[in-house]
Amino acid sequence: MSLGVVDFLDERLDVRRISREFAEHKVPDHVNWLYCFGGITFLCFLIQAATGVLLAFYYRPGTDTAYTSVLHIMDDMPYGVVIRSLHAWTANIMIIMVIVHMLRVFFHGAYRPPRELNWVTGVLLFFMTVTFGFSGYLLPMNQLSYWATKVGTEIAGAMPFVGGYLQDFLLAGSKIGDATLTRFYTIHVIILPIVLSMFLAAHFYMIRKQGIADPL
Amino acid sequence: MSPETNHSHDEHDQGGVPFLPDHFVKEVAVIALVMGILIFLATLMPSPMGLPADPLKTPLGIKPEWYFLSVYQILKYVPKTIGIAWSFLIFPPILIIFPFFYRFYARFKYGRLILHTLVAIGVFLAVFLAALAYLGFE
Repeated sequence: MSLGVVDFLDERLDVRRISREFAEHKVPDHVNWLYCFGGITFLCFLIQAATGVLLAFYYRPGTDTAYTSVLHIMDDMPYGVVIRSLHAWTANIMIIMVIVHMLRVFFHGAYRPPRELNWVTGVLLFFMTVTFGFSGYLLPMNQLSYWATKVGTEIAGAMPFVGGYLQDFLLAGSKIGDATLTRFYTIHVIILPIVLSMFLAAHFYMIRKQGIADPL
Repeated sequence: MSPETNHSHDEHDQGGVPFLPDHFVKEVAVIALVMGILIFLATLMPSPMGLPADPLKTPLGIKPEWYFLSVYQILKYVPKTIGIAWSFLIFPPILIIFPFFYRFYARFKYGRLILHTLVAIGVFLAVFLAALAYLGFE
């Protein structure tokens, strides 16, 4: 019976070949523990997606509602404190892991031709991860997040040529308010997850296509 | 092997260990370890909530998040426009495109050594600046 299901899927989707390729593909001998940071970053991303969806069920963006809705998650929801803390801790660990992964790739020279494009997608993924952190930091709307965002958007506003536009875009007004919160929330839960997932797919596709780089 | 080339996937299929079960077991171990550490941190050091945002009450020693601290500290020493232009407009494009110049700098005997040394110094400086900012040095 179960074989019937496998045969059914194999005829239509070629699952045997795909699973054989997945199970039997060779991992080069020189791969050691230093190679795990990219994978840990991906694990962090999955944890962020799962805990983020749970938080989004109860979070309400808005200057009057954001803080109280996060308190509600922490005080009244089962494991609310753990889920929010897991989201916050994993965010920080994820950025550390991206940086360590980048340094590993750099000092191993794994960016060398023909892997330049995977380096490019990797750097863009790094910038997206940092933007994820920055946009998420404002959402609880406590003193820390408000003033850190104020400093951050002021730095962005001081950028030559594009600063003014960038600050207007981020704040969606002249100061941090309801519009800013919805904007950061949209960036955090809609734009970045979609764009980052697409770049992640490209990143992984290139690893499979190009293989793991030889050591220097 | 010449340092100019970097073999691609097909040439690896002879050597190495199969993904399942050899490598997969290690991956599961790493996943378990990382999940353990994260749950440990989240349960024993839960994120504080603090006071609600108040635009009229500036708290003492406000700082951006840790990953912006090195940029934040640079801005105390160099003119703001230069520091910001370097951090957000000049450095990121360099970071993105430098692999395309590999064949150029690999021609020099010490090209890669010099590049790696410069980056190592840069990383050390960034960590040092972030530490200064964290400790509140002006």
